[in-house]
Amino acid sequence: MKRPSDYEIELEETDREISRLEERTDTTPLDAATATRYAYRLYHRASLTENYCEFEAVETAIDDAIRRISLWPDLCLLKAHLDFKLHRLAKARQDLEMVRGPADFPQGRALKADLDLQEGRYEDARRGYESVIKENPTWDNLARLAYFKAKMGDVEGAEQLYVEAQEEITAKQMRSYAWVEMQRGLLDLAHGRFDDAGAHYERAGAAYSGYWLIDQHIARLLGTQGRYARAVALYEEIVARVPRPDLHQALGDLYVSMGEPDKARSWHEKALAAYLESAESGDVRYLHHLTDFYSDVREDGAEAVKWARKDLDLRPNYSTQAALAWALYRAGQLAKALDLMHMALSSGVRDARLFVIAAEIHQASGRTEEGRQYLREAAEINPYYQDVHVHL
Amino acid sequence: MADHNDPNAVNSIFSDIDVSAADVYDMFGFPSDNTAGGEKVVIALTFASIPETGVFDTDMLYRIQITAHPRAAYPSGDDHSLEALLRYFDAVKDKYLVELQAAEIRVTVDQDGGARVAFKDFPGGSFSTVVDTNEVLIIDTPDGHSIKAFLGGRDDAFFNDLPGFFRSINYAPQFYHVPHTMIEARELPIPKTLLELEGNDLFNFDPNNPKHGQGVKKDLPPGPWMWDGDRYLKDENGNFRFVYSGKDAQAGRNMNALIFEIPLSFITESPAEDRVVSTWGESWVLKAANKVETIPDRLFWLEHPWALLDAVTLDEEMKKYKLVDTVGQPFADAGLSEREDNRQLGANNFWLAPHFIKRLAHLGWGFGPSISALGLHTSFDHDNSPVSVHKKYATPIEAFPRAKKTLFQKLNMPDDTWNTSGLDIHLKRPFEIFVPNVCAIDMDTTGTWPFGRRLEDQVATRFLSMFLDMGAEFNGKQYNIETLNDQSLWDQAPIVPKTPPNPLKNDKEFLDNFPYLAEPW
Repeated sequence: MKRPSDYEIELEETDREISRLEERTDTTPLDAATATRYAYRLYHRASLTENYCEFEAVETAIDDAIRRISLWPDLCLLKAHLDFKLHRLAKARQDLEMVRGPADFPQGRALKADLDLQEGRYEDARRGYESVIKENPTWDNLARLAYFKAKMGDVEGAEQLYVEAQEEITAKQMRSYAWVEMQRGLLDLAHGRFDDAGAHYERAGAAYSGYWLIDQHIARLLGTQGRYARAVALYEEIVARVPRPDLHQALGDLYVSMGEPDKARSWHEKALAAYLESAESGDVRYLHHLTDFYSDVREDGAEAVKWARKDLDLRPNYSTQAALAWALYRAGQLAKALDLMHMALSSGVRDARLFVIAAEIHQASGRTEEGRQYLREAAEINPYYQDVHVHL
Repeated sequence: MADHNDPNAVNSIFSDIDVSAADVYDMFGFPSDNTAGGEKVVIALTFASIPETGVFDTDMLYRIQITAHPRAAYPSGDDHSLEALLRYFDAVKDKYLVELQAAEIRVTVDQDGGARVAFKDFPGGSFSTVVDTNEVLIIDTPDGHSIKAFLGGRDDAFFNDLPGFFRSINYAPQFYHVPHTMIEARELPIPKTLLELEGNDLFNFDPNNPKHGQGVKKDLPPGPWMWDGDRYLKDENGNFRFVYSGKDAQAGRNMNALIFEIPLSFITESPAEDRVVSTWGESWVLKAANKVETIPDRLFWLEHPWALLDAVTLDEEMKKYKLVDTVGQPFADAGLSEREDNRQLGANNFWLAPHFIKRLAHLGWGFGPSISALGLHTSFDHDNSPVSVHKKYATPIEAFPRAKKTLFQKLNMPDDTWNTSGLDIHLKRPFEIFVPNVCAIDMDTTGTWPFGRRLEDQVATRFLSMFLDMGAEFNGKQYNIETLNDQSLWDQAPIVPKTPPNPLKNDKEFLDNFPYLAEPW
C-alpha cells in the first residue's frame, strides 16, 4: 500500500480534529475556546486545499461563533486573516479593530504591516515588519520582511532573512520549512537562477511531501525551462487534485508557449468561466487574474481595464498599478498607461517583469531610450526575463 | 501579492500544540544512599510523556548539564545591602560562565526506541552509547566507572496543588479561556494571596462549580479584571478560605524521565573537595533543516553504538537543535520567571536577578499580609497591611527594602537530619537558591531541598515558607521550611479547609532502589 504523503497525513489529522470539534460546537452554551479552535481548524484546512468553498465555511463558522458568543478577540484576528487571504483588505483592517487585543498582538501587528504593503504604504510596511521582528523574531515575520526586501531589490538581505527564518523553524513545522524553501526558490526564479530554484523546490518536497503547491512551483519552473512534456504532465496531475482556475490558466498558458493553442483553449475557457463566476458572486480574489487574462490571453484591453480598476480600488499598490497600466496599454490608452506605470515604479520595487512592462509602455509611447533602460534593468535582475511570467 | 507572501497560510495563527515533549517538568538531584564503591549522585530530569508514556519524541534532544565545585563560602557576611546582593550575583555569574565548565549528558531516541546517550567533557572524556529505553541499565564508562541509567516512563513525581498555586496568583489561563491575543490577561491585576479575597469572584472557590480551575474553564469575561475590596473573605464562623486545597493535581499522571546514578568520581577528579554538584536540564528540538538530513546521522549511530567522541562532534550536533525549555530550581520558572519563553535560560539566568528582586517583592505584597492575617509572622515588610496588595515595581531599588529580609534570611531546616556529615554547612538563603537556576546538590547532606531536591520533598510548600519570618516560633519551635507542612498549624488557624497547602506525599510510593521514581500508571 502506498505510504500517505505528509500533506495527506496532515489533511487527515485536520479532518479528525474538525469532526471532534464539530460535535462540541453543537453544545449550548458554546465556549469561546472550542469555537475558535473549530473555526481555526477549518481555516487551516482551507489554507491547505485553497478551496474557496472551504473558506466560505470558515466565514460562516466565525460569524456564527461571534453571534453566539461575542466579539471574541481571537475570532476577530482569525476573521482578519481570512479577509486578508480573500483580498478584502478594508474588512481585514476593520476586523483587527473590532475589539481590544488583536491589533496589538504580534500576529495582528504583522498583519497590519501586510495590509500596509498591499495598500502601497511601503515605508509603513517596512517599519511594521521591523518593529514586530524586534519583539518577535519568529520565522513568519522574518519571511515577511524577506519578501519585502526581495521586492525592493535587496536580494542578499532577503536571502539572509529567509535563512534566519529557517533557523527558527523546528522539525515540528516541516510545512513551514517547505514554504520558506519555496520562497527561496521563487527568489531564485525571479533572478534567472533556475537550477537553484529547482534545488529549493526539491528540498521543499523532501521536507513536506505531497503538497500540490510545491508541485505547482516545480511545474512552472519546468515550463520556464522549456521542459514542456514534464511540465504538462505535472500540471495535469495537479489540476486533477486541485481544480483551481489559476492552475487551469497556467496549463493553458503552457500550451500556448508550446505552440499548441487548440489544446490551450479549453483550459483557458475553463479558467475564465470560473474567474467570472467568482467575480459575479462578489469574490474579489481573482480580479488580478481576470486582468492578466484579458491583457495577455485575450488581449482585450477594455475588459482588462475594467477588472484592473476594480482591483486597484481594493489594493492600491505597485502590482495593481502596473496591471492597470498594462491593461491601458492593451487598450491603446498610452498616456494613462504611462502615468500609472510611473506610479508603480515610484514604489521602489525592483522586479524584472515590472521593468519589462515599463519598457514596452515607454517604447510604445515613443520614449525609446527610457524603454531600453528599463529592459537593461530587467536583464540585470533576470537575464532570462522573457521566459518568466510571474504575477507581480 | 497576498498569494505569494502569506506565511499565515502555512503558519499557526494560534498555537496548536497543547502539550509538548519539550515541556520539562522537574529536576531532582540528591546523594545516593548506595555508597558501595564510592559516593554517587542521583539526577533525574522529567518531562511530558509525549507521544506517550515510555515513548520518546524522536525530534527531541534532552541535555543534563553537570558541574561539581567546592561549597561556596558564606556570602557577604552581614552586609544585607542591594549592592552586596548584586555583587554576589556578579561573582556567581563569573563562576558559572567563566570558571566552571559543565559536563553534560545528552539523550536522543530513535524511531525504534533505541536511545543514544552521549557523555561529554567528563574528566574521563567524552563517549556515547546506544541503549534500550524503559529498562534499568548499567553504562560502563571508558575510565572504568559504572553509571546506572533509566530512560523511560514513570509516575509523575511532582505532587502539589497546582490549581491552588494558580488561584493564589490569579493566573487566568488555569480558570478561563483566555484569548491568545490578550497577552495582558495572564496574571490578572488582582492581589496575589493565600486567602480568598472578599468579592474576588473571578478566582474564589465556587461551590456551584467546584471543578472550576481544575479542568473546568469558563470564557474570560470582559474586563476590567480588578479587585476593589478591602478585606479577606470570611465565612459565618469567621474562618478565612484557603486558596489551596491540599490535593495532588498530578495524581494518576505519568511523565517520561531520564534518571542517572553517577559516581561522584566520574563527575570530578576531586570528589573530596568538590562537594556540590550543580545540575540543570534542557530540552532541545531538532531544527527543520536538519530533519531533512537525519538519515546519514542515524546510520552512523547504528553502526557505532558505542563511540568515543570528541567535543567538536558533539557541539556540531547542538547546532542542529533549538533550545526550548530549561529547569533547575522548582518554582524558578512558574513562581519567579512568570513562565515567559524568553526567560528559559537555565543556569544562565543572571540577567533575571534584578527581576527576581522585583518579583519577590510583588509576591510578598500578596503572600505577606495573608500570612499575617493567619497570625503568623512574615519575612516581608508590608507595613502591617490588613489585606493583600497588588503592587509592581519598576526597579529593584524600590523593591529591595521590602523584600530584604525575605531575600537574606536563613531558611531553617526542621531538624539536623539533613546534614549527614555534621560539617559546618550554612543554611541557605533565598537569593542563593534561585540565581543561578540550578539544582545544587550538597553531597554532605541528604540532598533535601534546598541542598538538592529529593523526590519526597514538598517543594511547593517549602517555596512559600520563604515568606515566613524564620526568626519566629510556632509551638515552641523556630519557623522552618516545613512549618507550613505542619497539620497542627492549620488545625489551629482560622481557615478552611484545614490542610497544608499541598499534599504531603506523592500519590505513589517512591522506590527504595534505583530508579527511585515510581512505576507509571
